[in-house]
Amino acid sequence: MTELAVEATGLTKYFEAFQAVDHVTLKVPAGSIYGVLGPNGAGKTTSLRMTLGIIDPDEGTSRLLGGHKPQAVRHRIGYLPEERGLYPGMKAREAIAFMGALRGLDWSEGRRRAATFMTELGLERVIDEKIRKMSKGMAQMVQLIGSIVHAPDLIVLDEPFSGLDPVNQERLEMLVRRERDRGATILFSTHVMAHAERLCDRLAIIARSQRRFEGTVDEARALLPMQVRYTPREQGEAVAALLPAGAEHKGEAWHFAIEENDVEPLLARITASGHGVAGLSIARPALHDAFVHIVRQVDAGFDATPQADAVEEAAA
Amino acid sequence: MNAFLKNMLVIARRDFLAIVATPTFLLFLLAPLFMVGMGAVGGLGASQLADSARGKGRIVAIVDPADVEALRQADARLRGALSGGERPVMLDVRAAGPDAPDPLVIAREKGSDTYAVLSGPLESPRIIERNEGSSSGRYLALLAADVLRDRAAGPVAPVEPRFEAITSGGTSIAAQQSLGFGAVFAIFLMTLLLAGQTVSSMAEEKGNKVIEILAAAVPLESVFLGKLLGMLGVAILFIAFWSVIAVGGGFVAATQIDPAAIAAAGKPAAALAVAPASGWGFFFGISICYFVMAFLLLGAVFLGIGAQASTVREIQMLSLPITIFQVGMFSLSAAAASAPGSDLARFAQIFPFSSPFAMAARAATDGAHGIHPLALGWQAIWVAAVVYLSVRLFRAGVLSSGSGWKFWKKARPVAAAAAAASAAAESPSTH
Ligand SMILES: Nc1ncnc2c1ncn2[C@@H]1O[C@H](COP(=O)(O)OP(=O)(O)OP(=O)(O)O)[C@@H](O)[C@H]1O
Ligand SMILES: [Mg+2]
Repeated sequence: MTELAVEATGLTKYFEAFQAVDHVTLKVPAGSIYGVLGPNGAGKTTSLRMTLGIIDPDEGTSRLLGGHKPQAVRHRIGYLPEERGLYPGMKAREAIAFMGALRGLDWSEGRRRAATFMTELGLERVIDEKIRKMSKGMAQMVQLIGSIVHAPDLIVLDEPFSGLDPVNQERLEMLVRRERDRGATILFSTHVMAHAERLCDRLAIIARSQRRFEGTVDEARALLPMQVRYTPREQGEAVAALLPAGAEHKGEAWHFAIEENDVEPLLARITASGHGVAGLSIARPALHDAFVHIVRQVDAGFDATPQADAVEEAAA
Repeated sequence: MNAFLKNMLVIARRDFLAIVATPTFLLFLLAPLFMVGMGAVGGLGASQLADSARGKGRIVAIVDPADVEALRQADARLRGALSGGERPVMLDVRAAGPDAPDPLVIAREKGSDTYAVLSGPLESPRIIERNEGSSSGRYLALLAADVLRDRAAGPVAPVEPRFEAITSGGTSIAAQQSLGFGAVFAIFLMTLLLAGQTVSSMAEEKGNKVIEILAAAVPLESVFLGKLLGMLGVAILFIAFWSVIAVGGGFVAATQIDPAAIAAAGKPAAALAVAPASGWGFFFGISICYFVMAFLLLGAVFLGIGAQASTVREIQMLSLPITIFQVGMFSLSAAAASAPGSDLARFAQIFPFSSPFAMAARAATDGAHGIHPLALGWQAIWVAAVVYLSVRLFRAGVLSSGSGWKFWKKARPVAAAAAAASAAAESPSTH
């Protein structure tokens, strides 16, 4: 077992009576890129805040970078909060140096690195511009640089891609990979699947306060059967009989899902039937599909047994 | 350097620069000028009012022309022994004659306040007075008696008194108490002006969301202390600026005034003869220390309270009780300054939020030095306690951590409450 950069177990948080996070466990191997996915209001931000010790969990513990309490290793952590914030009166370079200084980095070194980072990320024009005068996306890039300027061992980014244009999203992905290559561990939350799919070594899906999935991207995609699109050369009533139940006929093509083991038997059946193949695609589902699938399942479960009733029964 | 101190300084530096590097700071720096200006205008008006009122007051004596000169001399003698407010108003001596007006008419003459009018023979004068039993009336009677006594005694060799001033032997208790009061007032004025600023200093981070970056990066205690320190820096800059102006102004004034005139006036010598019991140097030094403590202590309270507020309106609402609280501490300490050694004074010196004021006053009347480090230590403990408590409240309230206090934490989870309820239901006979 590799060393864990984040070992948060059983994190639980109530806001008044509402349970925002319910025994969520996050184990992030050191040196990996780890995604926390989930719909709005799932509890991602709250989980990350508890992981970092910004708010105290009602239950559960968080240990970072080799079993330390979050407060004990603050200077080795970088964090981009969901609610972006910078002092509007500060110049970009100063803002970055300030954030570095908070984590123990020398001011002058912070200013130097700020210039380097900003130049790399195409922001050299605004190095000495006040934050107030920057666009939201630019300010966000500045804040992002500020949260990694001290070369932290653990970088936590809460929805880092939201609000960035495609070019900056690319740059950010590049930056995340580079930080990982440097040896840092990156933990980030998002609900944009494409980034997670491209970046994550492992991911967790949180929905309705609980962790519903944990594993690699491939493992997530394997939760769903293969998606098949088949267009026979010879259309006919008999085609439906070849295919699994539930296959949908849309225009020329048939859409359906099959298990991995059933792919070859299906091909054999089609070949034998003589309907021919005008078009055929067999693909693993995207992470997007797996995500939607999991979230739908959870929601369906919730609608069947509303939690409020359960609590009332327990109290009665 | 200690990481905690380092964090604190990073926050303090940011706050200090953010405040000082704005045009509004200049306005703030020059605020005392407006205050002094306003005060001067008001004072001028008041003194003019008093002057003109006093100039119009008079007492009148209508006497035999032979007595006019003797009466004037008696007036000059007696007047010389009375000072300031005790000195009677101007005496108007008139010769009696056939066409002299009626004393009642004189008493009612327009254009001046006539407090008393003496007429008739000096042995049995008629004195008309505006207020019964007034000192003006008594004074006129005294004058008459003095003139008669002089005449009866005949020529007497003039008394040749030799006046000797006490040059050493210390300052009177009253003067020391005024010094104490002065210290309380000065410290109060400066804290009123400066410490109240901390109430809104947490609002900025809450408004622009930087608070989460700070909370993630450094202990909140160092954020709070850093902010206090930054504001203290501003306060010290403010005081330093005005001290330089005052000292510079003093030098300029000194070169403009003829030294002989100063010596003749004898004023500076008299002023320097007034000294606080603990000595000028110590008194100044310790007063500055107490100002810093008063600033930190009240500033910490206001910072903690202000941190709970989330809107500008809430902060504005808070500033009134804050000012009242400050005035309360001032009144307590001022009362204590006027009664050194009393139970009230002791209370004001021990009660943490009035302690810096009251202890500064004590330095004026009590020569003991040893008590002051003790008091500063005591106040520092309270600064720490207030900051600690503020941080707790802030974490619980603003960052919604909820578990800073164990009993709140237990009260929160519904599941836990439900579990407890069902447990109680299962075992109703446990208590
Ligand atoms: N300070 C708070 N007080 C009360 N409720 C809160 C607080 N913070 C979060 N919540 C609630 O907790 C739940 C989880 O919030 P959280 O911000 O963790 O969600 P999220 O997964 O980050 O959502 P999003 O994708 O929209 O950012 C939400 O239902 C939210 O309403
Ligand atoms: Mg969120």
